[in-house]
Amino acid sequence: MITGTSPLIQLAGITKVFVTGSLHYEVLKNINLQVQRGEYVALTGASGSGKSTLLNIMGCLDVPTSGHYYLESDEVSTKTDTELAHIRNRFFGFVFQSFNLLGRYTVAENVALPMVYGGLGRKERLEKAKVLLARVGLEKFTGHYPAELSGGMQQRVAIARALANNPAVLFADEPTGNLDSKTGMEIITLFGQLNMDGTTLIVVTHDARVAQHARRMLVLADGSIMTDQTSRMDVSVSSGEAPA
Amino acid sequence: MNPFEHVRIALDALAASKVRAFLTMLGVIIGVASVIMLVAIGEGAKTYIRTELMGIGTNLLIIVPGKTETSGAGHMPSSIRKLTISDMRALEKRTTLIRVMAAAVVSNAAVKYQNRLRNVQIVGTDQNFEAVRNLHAEIGAFISRSDVDARRRVAVLGRTVRTELFGETNPLGRMIKIGETKFRVIGIMEKKGVTLGMDIDDHVFIPVETAQEIFDQDGLTNILAQVINESEIERAKEQIRLMLTERHGEEDFTVVSQQAMLATMQGILSTFTYVLGGIASISLLVGGIGIMNIMLVSVRERTREIGLRKAIGASKRDILLQFIIESVALSVVGGIIGILFGAGVAYGAKAIFPVIPVDVTAWSVTMAFTFAFLVGAFFGIYPAVKAARLNPIEALRYE
Repeated sequence: MITGTSPLIQLAGITKVFVTGSLHYEVLKNINLQVQRGEYVALTGASGSGKSTLLNIMGCLDVPTSGHYYLESDEVSTKTDTELAHIRNRFFGFVFQSFNLLGRYTVAENVALPMVYGGLGRKERLEKAKVLLARVGLEKFTGHYPAELSGGMQQRVAIARALANNPAVLFADEPTGNLDSKTGMEIITLFGQLNMDGTTLIVVTHDARVAQHARRMLVLADGSIMTDQTSRMDVSVSSGEAPA
Repeated sequence: MNPFEHVRIALDALAASKVRAFLTMLGVIIGVASVIMLVAIGEGAKTYIRTELMGIGTNLLIIVPGKTETSGAGHMPSSIRKLTISDMRALEKRTTLIRVMAAAVVSNAAVKYQNRLRNVQIVGTDQNFEAVRNLHAEIGAFISRSDVDARRRVAVLGRTVRTELFGETNPLGRMIKIGETKFRVIGIMEKKGVTLGMDIDDHVFIPVETAQEIFDQDGLTNILAQVINESEIERAKEQIRLMLTERHGEEDFTVVSQQAMLATMQGILSTFTYVLGGIASISLLVGGIGIMNIMLVSVRERTREIGLRKAIGASKRDILLQFIIESVALSVVGGIIGILFGAGVAYGAKAIFPVIPVDVTAWSVTMAFTFAFLVGAFFGIYPAVKAARLNPIEALRYE
């Protein structure tokens, strides 16, 4: 399946139209994009620019109105709901702005959750959850409940959960949005480490610091990719962002 | 995904809000418990009737005057043509399937001893009554053939009559008055108690022809016949029917078997049981609606959870199963508690008041359980489908 030469993600002519009554709203217009393995992509743009929609489509949480999406050369846009669920489980990890941990489960059980749908036994997945928690520096908190943890720690649990099935891509939607700047920085540092370890990252963010750490930056405006720069970003780029 | 994981997810969710889960189950618990209790009473009554009816004798056929439309315990004569002792004699001579027959004339009369008076049922019968009805004289003797033939004025007293009229005195050989006629007491019946609402001990037995004389009747109230073989009851019934029709020129009588009486009464009680069970099932249905209501609230509350589960790889089917299993678990656990509670109350009532006939049957338990399961599955479908159809992006954004 992994050929090495083909891009991990390839989008060709992706559009997304939202229909509300008689209103047609084109959120994404003819997006063409390739993401290689090991990349660290920051996706920025004003709110309403379509960056979250693009992330959702790449993460198979949403389907494009038209266009083609190849994940490791495999056409994804025609797959069924169950197949997409399987892809999300096997290929992707998600980190959200509001951590979305389940309060009735312990930290370790939260991390193990994707492995439940991956078909791993309870004992195995809790073992693996411990290893993942160690990776985000929370090995001491396996038996705690999310409510007992600080926001930054909760987000690290969420990241550990996103890594549960060794995803090909880790998607993050405003991962630092609910955190103060210090803990936000910890998360950014963690992302940097994960990328160094080989994880592909695609992060939607308003946070200029995330953009600085990313090795590639995409700026969306009005549903089109305005800028696509593959080098360390200049801080001034973030000034192009309109405050939400 | 392993189905056991779905069960675990569902149970974890229920365990997270135990009070709510219990309150939701309460509807099912009450519903199932009332089904179990009411059916237990209905079935208990059936068992009671069966034992009582079998207690009046075995392989019994009862011939009554008048043609009734259906077989059964009650009869509505359409033409009054009497059954006579000669009818019985003729049957006795010709039937091959009957072991023994007894004639009976039943009437009410005042029985008097010295200054004590009691209104009792007088049964005029013959020497075969003991065998047919499985009722025996304990002290002295029952009516004999010669008592009947000679139209002797002798009486056998039931236990209650004896106690009420004589107290501690030995009644044997004493004279009592039935109406205005004097009778000599020749025997006391064994104690039998109440059967089908009739106090057998409150009867006085006299020779059948004597009864016809003092009550001025030439007909019989009924003829009792005991069939030799249980398997030949229907044949015996038919035989009697043909012979008597031949004698009377038309079928102006009815032959009722004990089984038919039993079947009729059981039929009535079954209807009664089903009606009670049905009414109780309505509360079970209401319990199901309660489950659906709570599941809908739960789906709404857990919208983000559903979104998250979908994002990390749960398919529609996974979400659907999770919520259906939750509602089924509620109804099934509620059903089990309801069964235990209902059976507990039923047997508890029996332990305290042994008169109450109670019978928790396997079928009622199975039915209540199955129904509870189906209620959970049925009322869980809509909320579960709603959960499964949620769009993950919108669900994750839900506040």
